[in-house]
Amino acid sequence: MSAHVIIRVQRADFDLASEYQRLRQSTTAVGAVVTFCGLVRDLENETAIDSLSLQHYPGMTESLLEDIVAQAEQRWRLIGVTLIHRVGQLSPSDQIVFVGVASEHRKDAFEAAEYLMDYLKTRATFWKKIDQGGQQYWVDSKDSDQLALDRWQRDD
Amino acid sequence: MIRLLFFGRLGDVAAGVATSIEASEGLTPSAVREALAVDYPSLAAELSQPQVLVSIDQCIADWDQPIADGAELAFLPPVTGG
Repeated sequence: MSAHVIIRVQRADFDLASEYQRLRQSTTAVGAVVTFCGLVRDLENETAIDSLSLQHYPGMTESLLEDIVAQAEQRWRLIGVTLIHRVGQLSPSDQIVFVGVASEHRKDAFEAAEYLMDYLKTRATFWKKIDQGGQQYWVDSKDSDQLALDRWQRDD
Repeated sequence: MIRLLFFGRLGDVAAGVATSIEASEGLTPSAVREALAVDYPSLAAELSQPQVLVSIDQCIADWDQPIADGAELAFLPPVTGG
């Protein structure tokens, strides 16, 4: 059985409550819903940022996200998956990413949500540019994100 | 013709670079990088960073993979979403 999958890359904000309700109502077999929401932090390198802009590779991003969800479906019993990632200009405390997973039991939903985020961070074609006091620069990738991914690969 | 795309910081370094290149028999991403090095050495140096990936028609590709006429070749720095 394949999960109900929703993948959206959008400029608009999203509503956590309605995304949760959609996952909750996937089917009556749902016994657990785990949601994660990532926000824009106010600091980068311990200095306040003015804004963040997110670029992506239209088409490739969506297909990479579909692949990541398909991999998660191989590892866990999932009923519903929603991935939303925003692009364009964002400000501190704005919502940037949503991952929601519905499953029969909590372990599948907890683990799959973390796996999806770890893969999204290191594989999906998004790039962040920060505006800090009139200076713009591209964010560097973090070793800690790659280490988070290595943990899942050791489990394979 | 092969369409060229540069993302993230590579887009800034590639400002003013042609957005397409003539297709030729056996052309690979490595060969495109070498061709760009003639006029844009600083871009070619960025593209030579080991973390930079390439995609052909939106699939991650090898640097020595042949590129078909009409394809889309993209240079991808390490991703930073989420």
